[in-house]
Amino acid sequence: MSGPAVIAAGETAQSVTERICAVTLREGARPWTPLWWWVAFAVSLGLLGTGVISVAWLFYAGLGIWGIDWPVVWGLDILNYVWWIAIASGGTFISALFFLLGVEWRTALNRLAESLTLCAALCAAIFPILHLGRPWFFYWLFPYPNTMGLWAQFRSPLAWDFFAILTYVFASILFWYFGLLPDLATLRDRAGRPGQRVFYGVLALGFRGSGRQWRHYRAVYAVMAALMAPLVVSVHSIVGMDFAGSAGTGWHSTQFPPFFVFGAALSGFAVVLVAILPLRALLGLQAYVTARHIDVLGRLFLTSSLCVAYAYLMDAFSTFYGSDPAERTMFVLRVFGLYAPVYWGTIILNILLPQLLWWRAVRMTAPLIWLIGLGVLVGMWLERFQIIVTSLARTQMPSSWGQYTPTIWEWSLLFGTIGLFLTTFLLIVRLMPVVAMAEMRAMLRGGVG
Amino acid sequence: MIVAAFATEKGMREAAAEMRHGDCGFVETYMAMEPWEAEVGVKGGSVLPAVMLGGGIVGGLGGFLMQAYATTVSYPQNIGGRPDLSWPSYVPATFELAVLGAVVAGMAGFLLLAGMPRLYEPADEADCMRGAMLGSYVLVVRPADSAEARRVLARHAPIGIKEVAE
Repeated sequence: MSGPAVIAAGETAQSVTERICAVTLREGARPWTPLWWWVAFAVSLGLLGTGVISVAWLFYAGLGIWGIDWPVVWGLDILNYVWWIAIASGGTFISALFFLLGVEWRTALNRLAESLTLCAALCAAIFPILHLGRPWFFYWLFPYPNTMGLWAQFRSPLAWDFFAILTYVFASILFWYFGLLPDLATLRDRAGRPGQRVFYGVLALGFRGSGRQWRHYRAVYAVMAALMAPLVVSVHSIVGMDFAGSAGTGWHSTQFPPFFVFGAALSGFAVVLVAILPLRALLGLQAYVTARHIDVLGRLFLTSSLCVAYAYLMDAFSTFYGSDPAERTMFVLRVFGLYAPVYWGTIILNILLPQLLWWRAVRMTAPLIWLIGLGVLVGMWLERFQIIVTSLARTQMPSSWGQYTPTIWEWSLLFGTIGLFLTTFLLIVRLMPVVAMAEMRAMLRGGVG
Repeated sequence: MIVAAFATEKGMREAAAEMRHGDCGFVETYMAMEPWEAEVGVKGGSVLPAVMLGGGIVGGLGGFLMQAYATTVSYPQNIGGRPDLSWPSYVPATFELAVLGAVVAGMAGFLLLAGMPRLYEPADEADCMRGAMLGSYVLVVRPADSAEARRVLARHAPIGIKEVAE
């Protein structure tokens, strides 16, 4: 694709190393952590605090403090889980899939994108544990020989989901850390303060850039990327099967696995955009995250929105092409009933708003594309609300219909995970190199990136 | 052990080639980005993709057999009338465990073959070694004849050279 350069003119391997190290090691005229970081960190900790209180009260009082009940037995807990795990996908798509495709623009984005994946996956992993009636027995999910003689129900998508999330979180951490090793070694050798040298020295594990280390590093990184790409698709397919595997109205559909992959890509690209745009200005990364990156992300964003639109259309089509009156009734109620604002909010924010990205001028206007990204994140949350809550509230039997209103403890848990996400992400931004220096150097030389 | 730093990759490459050609002893290159294999004299691919394949097979096969054992021998249940050995439903967890096995094998194998973690090496005593991950190009030589090795290295204009005890 033609367009602006992926890196500013005049940048060299040396200038990349110096600029990124200066951001992380706080070298130069301003050796202290900037004020904006402290303000953002304080706000994040405040949000995290609400989550801690919410979880503490949940452990004390039990699930009765939430608004879930029969028939809406899944509420914000599973909604937030699906939302967060979808957000996590963006980093893997950019880091692994586009590595395999050999695109140059990925190099400047992959570190921040992978970090977003880690933080979001961490938030997602909390909810399946908390939504258990007795969360202290969560380890029963592990298939281990036990005196009760019980095993997980391996034919259930919920059991598959456990393996998927376990693998995804663990593999994402390893992929992120493995990719960091050369940059940690650079920080170790560049750091001036003894504390920094010890910190990065221990984390670098003794990586020194020997020919032997690079040979094995390159081989393992490529295979890991080749594994992460299908892994992220499998994870979201399995999350889709959590719903499709049941007989619930609005759920029992073979299109759910790709539908969830499309949604994951949309929210993943949205969160990368929403995070990158302010950080690019705050950390002075304009030379590395150029107009080309914003343009490419905007195009990916638009493409995934069109995929989601296709899934929404197919959802409506298959409902009315089929002959199940309960499915049709549920769909009509979803569009015109009590939760209609949720449905139309989803359509507006996920489908209509991103259409503005057809115009290059919109893609290139940072505040506009940032707002569209934020809108999509809200829209994807609403989409999960309509999938989970509307379906459960309008089951096959009208006598079993109900409604669901989240309580303050569910909202505070959502905001608490937003705090956890921001806190961990800000710590990574502060302590780790925000751009993959070794890959940038290789790209500048024209080598393997 | 002699540690020599060069300002350019070309300088290091030529010095390494001459040292290897003259059979001056063990030579290892250090640099801050992935080297072109032919240029630094590293021959052959890594065995780690095969190790990761092995890890994947162990993880996947182990996962499949665990599910088969649990549902046929240890705790058979009638789920929707399916046979006990309903293998299609084992596929998702088998795939996930195969990926997990491969990734863990890759990381563990890398640490083993790359000699990590190793926080200290005698070569670290040379100041110029610190430049390897910062943009200079470093050769570490374990020569049979130290004086001859220094003469060869000096011909390629190193920006730093130091002999350290092993």
